[in-house]
Amino acid sequence: MKLRRTLGFSRRALLQFRHDRRTFAFVLIMPLLMILIFGYTFGGDVKNIAVEIVNQDTGLPPGTSTLLPQGLFLAKNITKNFDRNTLSLHENTNIDDARQKVHDGKAWAAIIFPANFTQNFLTTLTTQPGTAHPKVEIYLDASNPTISAAVIKTISHTIQITLKELTTTLNKTQIEMPITIEQTYAYGGSDTRFIDYFAPGVISFAIMMVTTMITIILFVNERRNGTLQRLLVSPASESEIVAGYALAFAVIGVFQSIVVLVAAILLFNITIIGNIFLALVVILLLAFGHQGLGILLSAAAKNEMQAVQFIPLILFPSILLAGLFWPIESIPSYLQPLSYIIPLRYGIDAERSIMLRGWGIGEIWVDILVLILFALFTLSASVLLLKRKN
Amino acid sequence: MNVTCPCCGERGKVTFERSFDTTTTVIEIQKLTKTFRKFTAVDSLDLTIYKGEIYGLLGPNGSGKTTIIKMLTGLLQPTAGTTKLFGHTLPCKSIMNDVGYMPQDTAIYIDNTVHENLFFFGSIYGISKQRLEKREREMLQFVDLQNWRDSLVSTLSGGMKHRVSLACALIHEPKLVFLDEPTGGIDPELRATFWEYFGSMVKKGITVIITTHYMDEANRCSRVGLLRQGKLIADGRPSDLKNNTRTNSLEDTFLALAGRKKP
Repeated sequence: MKLRRTLGFSRRALLQFRHDRRTFAFVLIMPLLMILIFGYTFGGDVKNIAVEIVNQDTGLPPGTSTLLPQGLFLAKNITKNFDRNTLSLHENTNIDDARQKVHDGKAWAAIIFPANFTQNFLTTLTTQPGTAHPKVEIYLDASNPTISAAVIKTISHTIQITLKELTTTLNKTQIEMPITIEQTYAYGGSDTRFIDYFAPGVISFAIMMVTTMITIILFVNERRNGTLQRLLVSPASESEIVAGYALAFAVIGVFQSIVVLVAAILLFNITIIGNIFLALVVILLLAFGHQGLGILLSAAAKNEMQAVQFIPLILFPSILLAGLFWPIESIPSYLQPLSYIIPLRYGIDAERSIMLRGWGIGEIWVDILVLILFALFTLSASVLLLKRKN
Repeated sequence: MNVTCPCCGERGKVTFERSFDTTTTVIEIQKLTKTFRKFTAVDSLDLTIYKGEIYGLLGPNGSGKTTIIKMLTGLLQPTAGTTKLFGHTLPCKSIMNDVGYMPQDTAIYIDNTVHENLFFFGSIYGISKQRLEKREREMLQFVDLQNWRDSLVSTLSGGMKHRVSLACALIHEPKLVFLDEPTGGIDPELRATFWEYFGSMVKKGITVIITTHYMDEANRCSRVGLLRQGKLIADGRPSDLKNNTRTNSLEDTFLALAGRKKP
């Protein structure tokens, strides 16, 4: 294999992208758009959920307890602590009206604090539990699971916070909470957002789509225009052709990843705690493997029209089965094994482990190995394909 | 000098680049056959072509012209028979340095400039940058495209694209050039220009193999082979073929040999 000849192939392909502005734009804008659209809309956290709140809590009459602060309105404290970003609260005095609003679809939930809420809380603390338990009633429209889950999560989270607040303002030994939950994070944290999880995935996905599609179209054109025949009649070997293109795609892939990463960092302030060079190595392996796949698929397409028909074939398994949006654990168990044969899965997994967990080659070597094998297989198969003369 | 070719193991008084110096035989085809399933595209072809010839492969569509060119350039594996280029049995990559090929389609990169195409095809033949610059100037002058060096191929007219394609086939100074229907679908004026190009190529000692189904063009070849249904039905100088069959045009010659009367 001659280096100069190989570089000649890369150089020409890169020059072609420089002239073909639209393709060049596709290479950059497709992943940028994805990260923008998904980053802003799919942010993972639901916001401004309309919720009716009815507070009938009469609080703690003065002089009833030495344990709790005078004039405590526990429901008020909880209400104050609600995350107003997530819940858009509307105070209501009438329980029936609040329920009706949920019924009419004007609100997703009604939260009701009954009259003796704080008093029952005190009773539970001081006497035997079970007699009069403090109760929060939630009337819920659960037709949208994402929203109802967010409501429930917010409410229980807020109650936890409020109680914690209460115990810290008092002498700690006086109130013993029955169970305390202590969260510590192995990776990520309470501030990890969907976009942090999504960015490493979308980078891998963009490389896969762009490399596969452009390779298919490039090679369909090479065949149809006769340029490939011309190359095959030259002293250049098939492996030089494949390696030359691989190098060009490596340059494009690295460039594309840097642009997407910078955009994700600037716009969404995403977390990257791992080694960025290892992340780029994974990108390169993904690009090599999918370039080989593209060459192989190009043999099955006679023109660009037929090449485009491969898009859904590649797109859907990758989106649905490789864990791009939803964790692989959420796929039905009988479909999960399918994800093992999708190379993108390993790319996404590796990128996430590097960026979010800060893992190194010692932890993600399986992903890397699979990607290397995939690249070796598709690239050598495409060399053989180009050598086939019958 | 006695050298063994690393590809085909052929020994002889050859160097890889100038093997034709000692012999005037450029192409030696023996019993070349290609079948696609039951269809025989090329049927036991024997043919020898000498240095400095314009050899025209002449025949109607589907007579096997392109299949022959593809086998001679190593793009297709023959079912049977052998081909030697400059004494080297195909397939042989190293001999390809001396071969130029202009496929039926324009076969240049339309999203690159003329210059980028010429440099790219030059670089895959390992030509140094300095020499490539010189060759580019010569080629642009040859096909009269000096002012179009930095234009994108996609912006050129069809005729210009054909000229760029020819220039790309000649950039590495091949000794043997295969032109697969180079004049197909181009206007009469450019066809005349192309034949001037071919004439000047032959003057430089280049051997040209050309396929065409324009019978009038074949008259300009030094020798033609008439193909019909994969078989070589005649091979000789155009004037001899016409004399032997007592016909006035190669078209009539073809019809006479095919056993058909002129309508």
